[in-house]
Amino acid sequence: MLRMRRTVAMAAVAALAFSGFVGAQEGPVLIGASIPLTGGVAMFGQHSRWGAELAIAEANAKGGVLGRKLEMDFQDNRCNPAEAVKSVTQMLAEKKYVAIFDGLCSSAALAIMPLVERAGIPFVVANASATSIAERSGVGGNKWTFKVNPTDGSMLDALVTWLDKDGKAGSIAFLGEDTDFGRAGSSGLEAALKKRNRKLATVDFFQKGTADFTPLFTKIKAQKPGLLALYAVDADFQNAIRQWYSMGGGVPLTGRVLVDQVPKEIMDSGFLDGTTSVQPYDPSVDTPGNRAFVEAFKKLHNVPPILVSFESYEATKVLIDAIRRAGSANPAAIRDALATTKLPSMLGTTIEFDEHNLAHNNAIILTIKGGKVLVLGMSKT
Amino acid sequence: MDLSFCLQLLLNGIVIGVIYALVAMGLSLIFGVLEIVNFAHGEFYMLGAMLAYFLTMNAGLGYWATILVVTAVAVGLGYVLYEALLGSLQGEGFERSILLTLGLSMVLQNGAVFVFTTTPKMMQTRYSYSNVSLGDLRVPVMRLLALGLGLLAFGALYLILYRTRVGKAMRGVAQNRDAALMVGIDPRAVSRLAVAIGVGLSGLAGAALAPVYAVHPLMGFSFVFKAFAIIIIGGLGNVAGAAIAAVGLGVLESFVGGFFPLVMVDALAFTSMIAILLLRPQGLFGRGVRV
Repeated sequence: MLRMRRTVAMAAVAALAFSGFVGAQEGPVLIGASIPLTGGVAMFGQHSRWGAELAIAEANAKGGVLGRKLEMDFQDNRCNPAEAVKSVTQMLAEKKYVAIFDGLCSSAALAIMPLVERAGIPFVVANASATSIAERSGVGGNKWTFKVNPTDGSMLDALVTWLDKDGKAGSIAFLGEDTDFGRAGSSGLEAALKKRNRKLATVDFFQKGTADFTPLFTKIKAQKPGLLALYAVDADFQNAIRQWYSMGGGVPLTGRVLVDQVPKEIMDSGFLDGTTSVQPYDPSVDTPGNRAFVEAFKKLHNVPPILVSFESYEATKVLIDAIRRAGSANPAAIRDALATTKLPSMLGTTIEFDEHNLAHNNAIILTIKGGKVLVLGMSKT
Repeated sequence: MDLSFCLQLLLNGIVIGVIYALVAMGLSLIFGVLEIVNFAHGEFYMLGAMLAYFLTMNAGLGYWATILVVTAVAVGLGYVLYEALLGSLQGEGFERSILLTLGLSMVLQNGAVFVFTTTPKMMQTRYSYSNVSLGDLRVPVMRLLALGLGLLAFGALYLILYRTRVGKAMRGVAQNRDAALMVGIDPRAVSRLAVAIGVGLSGLAGAALAPVYAVHPLMGFSFVFKAFAIIIIGGLGNVAGAAIAAVGLGVLESFVGGFFPLVMVDALAFTSMIAILLLRPQGLFGRGVRV
């Protein structure tokens, strides 16, 4: 009698455990994302989310992966490394995510890297551009981090090649935000110029959230450099570009100028003609994939995608492809599948990771002429 | 050293200093009369800028009408703020006022993120892209208008405080609340007015600066901390001291930014504040008497 009771109890426990297991298998495949949803670059976080959600929606419309739906949970990191660590630690403790996505800001992504390495879970970087992320990944480093977008170093090398061709790389002043993003821009530009036996004319950094750039622009105008490399995003970029305009400019801009976010009045005036910028993306890139992406994005959000939306969209597709090819939700299998990625990019290349888990997509060289943004060309990073 | 370079820095510094003063004077007035440090002050500046943006860009209101409407709404908001929240704090702990205004700041900031999203907006007016040039010197028209509004606000506040009975009552309440009550001044009415003027100045600053800086929900945050440093440097609760300290800091920041790395500028307000606290704890213009 006692044995029978024990057998029934064990069968019940086994049935419950099994039903739980089946339930887990039938639930969605979960990806955890840590991006800034509030704070100074929340607009970028919003676009990153929209891009990733579009890729997820498209995958789910085709039946999801592994016979299950895909879902991405978004946690706020405020573009702050401490908040990024907090949000990812919390997600890792829940043990329900198959991969961690983005970070968005370089400082946040760099802070997340040791956590995913300890937990043994893939981390797909979509937007953070610091060269050090790739330097610390893959061979001899963090084997769980995969960087889909190009590094600042490789993009700026492509830009300087372009500028040098036109004899414009001789005297460049640098102005960037005092973050890993801005610092990576300065060191990337410095390295690209050094290869050509040149150096930056001046280097200046500003705190994120700086509203007034007039003292700095007064100084830069007095120094009369040949070009001014600008590394600013979001409200800082808007303030900087408007104040640069009201001070009369006088020095053509270069670097990572967000040409798609310049106020229309300034763009139309032709004031920024002569600007040469490098970006990982531009909505005007004329490929069938990009046209479809821009259309789908606009339909959902009534605004065109920006580079962050594109990078998150394409990086999410890379991750989905890896989960599909891994044939399981096991993080190690997904990591191995990521390492062998061969996925066509909307920019015309094939996304493949090198030994540092870095993909080498095209960089877009843009210029402004007659108040219009023109794609000068694409350069492999 | 190029003279026009220095003059441009001086001009930039005066303009930014008066802009700081617009925000700092209201903060100083509220502290002077109520002894409340209003951590939500920057959010009223942000709301003023947001409202100005929507009145101009969506409702098609002109610049001057927008300035008037925003200031009037901010004054009304100040009354509501006092009646709904700050009035109940009178005589209560200092810590409670800090927690309350800090909480209010978070609610307003995140509420604005929810309603307006974080996308920075640029308010356009007829003069948004116009400049006044004098030789090599250039000043955008919108900055000159903000400068004029700042000076006007300072003049008006000075006249109210020193040339009217209401102003005398405010100074009386600020100096000794109980004594003011004994001579027939209603401290509650005076406090209500002080909060209304303080928040009104903040709203005016937001409306005046909306065409100058990008408008977004986090724009008040950086300004208010600088304003705290300014009112401590000028002497807590001393409105004229705050205005002078603001202009001084603006000019100093401009010259430091012009000759040294810009990152040093952000530390300037706080290192000056620490130095003042060590050398002259009552502030540069503090005489132990507020407002």
